[in-house]
Amino acid sequence: MTLTRLPARRPEATAPVAGRPDRWARLDLKVSPYVYVAPFFVVFAVVGLFPLLYTGYVSLFDWRLGDDTAKFLGAGNYTELLTDPQFWNALLNTISIFLLSSVPQVIVAVAVAALLNTNLRLRTGFRMGVLVPYVASLVAVGIIFGNLFGVNYGLVNSLLDLVGIGRIDWQANRLASHIAIATMVNWRWTGYNALIVLAAMQAIPPEMNEAAMIDGAGPWRRFTSITLPMLRPTIIFVVITSTIGGLQIFTEPKLFSAMPGSDTGGSTGQFQTVTLYLYQSAFDNQRLGFASAIAWVLFLVIVIAAVGNYFITRRLAR
Amino acid sequence: MRQRLLATAIATALLAGLVTACGAGDAADSKIHLTIATFGEFGYEDLLKQYQTEHPNIVVTQHKVGQAAPHHKELFTKLAAGSGLDDIEAIEEGYRAQVMAKSDKFNDLSKIGPADAGPDRWLPWKYEAGKSKDGKLIGYGTDIGPLAMCYRTDMLQAAGLPSDPDGVKALFASWQTYFDAGKTYVQKTGKPWFDTSTQIFNAMHNQHDVGYFDQSDNLVVASNPDIKKDWDAVTQAIADKESAKLVSFGNEWQAGFKTSAFATTVCPAWMLGSIEQNSGPDNKGKWAVSSAFPDGGGNWGGSYLTVPLQSQHPKEAAELAAWLTAPQQQIKAFVAKGPFPSQVQALQSPELQNTTNAYFADPKTGALYAELAKKLTKAQYKGPADGQIQDDVFAPALQAVEQGKSATDGWQQAVAGAQKAAK
Amino acid sequence: MSRRPGFLVYGLLVAFILGSAFPIYWSFLVPSHGNDILTDKVPPLLPGGNFFSNARQVLDTIPFWHALLNSVIVSGSVALSVVVFSTLAGFAFAKLQFRGSNLLFVFVVLTMAVPTQLGIIPLYMAMADFGWAGHLQAVIVPNLVSAFGVFWMRQYLADAVPSELIEAARSDGCSMIRVFWHVAVPAARPAAAMLGLFTFMQSWNDFLWPLIALDQNNPTIQLALEQLQAGYYVNYALVLAGTTLATIPIFLLFVAVGRQLVAGIMQGAVKG
Repeated sequence: MTLTRLPARRPEATAPVAGRPDRWARLDLKVSPYVYVAPFFVVFAVVGLFPLLYTGYVSLFDWRLGDDTAKFLGAGNYTELLTDPQFWNALLNTISIFLLSSVPQVIVAVAVAALLNTNLRLRTGFRMGVLVPYVASLVAVGIIFGNLFGVNYGLVNSLLDLVGIGRIDWQANRLASHIAIATMVNWRWTGYNALIVLAAMQAIPPEMNEAAMIDGAGPWRRFTSITLPMLRPTIIFVVITSTIGGLQIFTEPKLFSAMPGSDTGGSTGQFQTVTLYLYQSAFDNQRLGFASAIAWVLFLVIVIAAVGNYFITRRLAR
Repeated sequence: MRQRLLATAIATALLAGLVTACGAGDAADSKIHLTIATFGEFGYEDLLKQYQTEHPNIVVTQHKVGQAAPHHKELFTKLAAGSGLDDIEAIEEGYRAQVMAKSDKFNDLSKIGPADAGPDRWLPWKYEAGKSKDGKLIGYGTDIGPLAMCYRTDMLQAAGLPSDPDGVKALFASWQTYFDAGKTYVQKTGKPWFDTSTQIFNAMHNQHDVGYFDQSDNLVVASNPDIKKDWDAVTQAIADKESAKLVSFGNEWQAGFKTSAFATTVCPAWMLGSIEQNSGPDNKGKWAVSSAFPDGGGNWGGSYLTVPLQSQHPKEAAELAAWLTAPQQQIKAFVAKGPFPSQVQALQSPELQNTTNAYFADPKTGALYAELAKKLTKAQYKGPADGQIQDDVFAPALQAVEQGKSATDGWQQAVAGAQKAAK
Repeated sequence: MSRRPGFLVYGLLVAFILGSAFPIYWSFLVPSHGNDILTDKVPPLLPGGNFFSNARQVLDTIPFWHALLNSVIVSGSVALSVVVFSTLAGFAFAKLQFRGSNLLFVFVVLTMAVPTQLGIIPLYMAMADFGWAGHLQAVIVPNLVSAFGVFWMRQYLADAVPSELIEAARSDGCSMIRVFWHVAVPAARPAAAMLGLFTFMQSWNDFLWPLIALDQNNPTIQLALEQLQAGYYVNYALVLAGTTLATIPIFLLFVAVGRQLVAGIMQGAVKG
């Protein structure tokens, strides 16, 4: 953080005009916050709110893509959804992939950030090095991982063969496909989250660590008693955004499918996530109303999970 | 301050970008601006230039997308949004059923198109397939994908099977003989006979009079005996290890050509290029195309040009679409990029008849496919969810069977999935 | 901490980076050799010499430079806007007391929980209504603010800006905006730099919305790269050559921004 130098006082600014600077300062204090947060809400009202409300409205109808009128269903889409085995399958897949990706990701991200926070040579190189996976365009990610996890000719299976473990059907086997997809997700996002944590770690004043070192605390003790608690807001941030992002995973399962462009999530839906099911319902089955209902149910699930994780993290990082 | 300079620079660049972006809009001239949206390689680049030279009051802009899937995503999104579609929208065979379900959003080309773009221009089944249920002509046919059977002469020879053009005619006469030949091949060599069960199943399916839906749009998956028969035959072939279990157009399928993973594959006219690219120069002359296709002919793929109601210049758009799909122009597109024409005159033209492909053992591929194109007599009726049932229900179900699911379980999955898709 | 870290730290980091960089390296290796290595059981580890011919084919096939410029304009504008607005809002939520701040903040975070895939239809309707379809505004304006950015800056500034400093500045007669500029902005710099980088990269790799909102005559780079997949045969070497070329500007950005993170620590601690 910069050592701030306050601007040199200009005599006019503080010349006490009776009552005026006081009222101005109070108005400034009162109004500024609203002015500062306004841009977000203004843009959101135009480009975010309308799609939100539209989706909610459409979910009450049996709206087919491209239709001008639709039958009003009320909660019909939602009740259909709750008894839909494909939805529950997708939810199960989503939770599984989420756990396989977010949990290791957060842990490794914090660990990597701690490593990066040391007095390394070539600091910039290392820091940017962990972000390299995020550079890849999605097309490249699909091609690369399709190639790595190919059932017949993939590199991973060749390696497993070499080592004697034998080939795994990454596409057909439910758990294997989840692991492969979680690997794609973790590969792409761990460095990203590590840098977020790193930025926060660097805001921690080093005197605290130095004082603890003088008191004889070892690196692990310092980490758990000083660094982690001070990182709490950022860890909460990483956990919540990983929860929200993890439950919405869409791109990786779509790219992973052996059938190019398929939204089915595998031959028996073994890796179809809820968002992929949403996308399939909207654009392949052309059932916009039903898809909108999926979106809102997913929203509910995410909110519950995010709130839950928030409280868990707050307690753990005490 | 540096940050301010950076901000100003970006703002200026943004402004400049907006100005240049705004340049390509409707100019205030008296010309008619038409837009045409295509995907893949239709071969229209030079043709559009020619059209604009011949019609100086018309300006045509082409919007190309590489693959069909994003193109159709965009099409359906803009259909739903009510604006943004081009004057001419290309649609692909696989999405035809979905587009026909929205036929009320498209112009009837038989009403607004030129008089000479009549049914006799095209192969009858192609023309019929461009019509909606209520008789509106939604699309002018562009290209087709007549099915032939491609086979590796060397691999058939190694198994003691006949590999000359006449010899294989007996092997490929019917699906029964095809699968029997496959059994022999597997016994002799232990290697798969065909690349994927999905395309075999689709080819068999499209030959029937009635497909997944009857003419009243009722789902007949469970009741249509032909579908179950095909299912049993194909799953039996899978059980006999005839399938290489690859997925069409996936990366492993492409690799399978190079590693000689299978001996036969159904090959429509447009696939010859990818067979050559995938197999590589080492396999030159080993692939052959047989004009014998089990149980008659078939078609896989092909496209149509439609004029959505959103178009501001429907009549001019229909004229352009009719011109592009006239035999003369389709020949030029064929020579340029390879889409196989669907117009009768084009099929008889010398350019097509004399087309050869030196990569294949029997080079006269143009004439061969022209013959095969005529074998199809009628187009099967495709109900609204046909594309989904083919690609999102039966293809995954067959894949599941290839991955180990029992044929009965796979059938149940398919039937349940079809019922869901048809909802 | 001025002690240099030990071998273990370097070792772990190098292993991590090599593991995560390998797939990227692979996507460079394929165009440098050709599609053949995709079926090799033991692929070569060193690059071949074909990269430049593949790259040249990419430049000949698609409007690469036009698309690159468009992407720079779009991603640059979006990144700048998100950083500015997120820092402002984040500062307000973190450090200023005002009625409804908690509720509004929760609302901001909740907006992230709504899946956006369906939004493209009503959003396109809105863009078409404004007359922006096909123009860069359609891709820039919807992304001018980001809930993620606001959330992050708020978390970061909550601890990175000591409240005492703000009070001291206020009691010295600074208006709020001057407090923001002189106290919050310098403190926010490392996080703001990262946010800008992340936003830029995310915008750079966006495909679905530009596909709908723009077209091939005014494409962003991902849209132009898609054209390399035209036809029935996908030339992976060509496609990967294109994607590799498209990452070069981002690597340049890395160098520029990476220093900001380092500069963050160099600036030292806040004297209380």
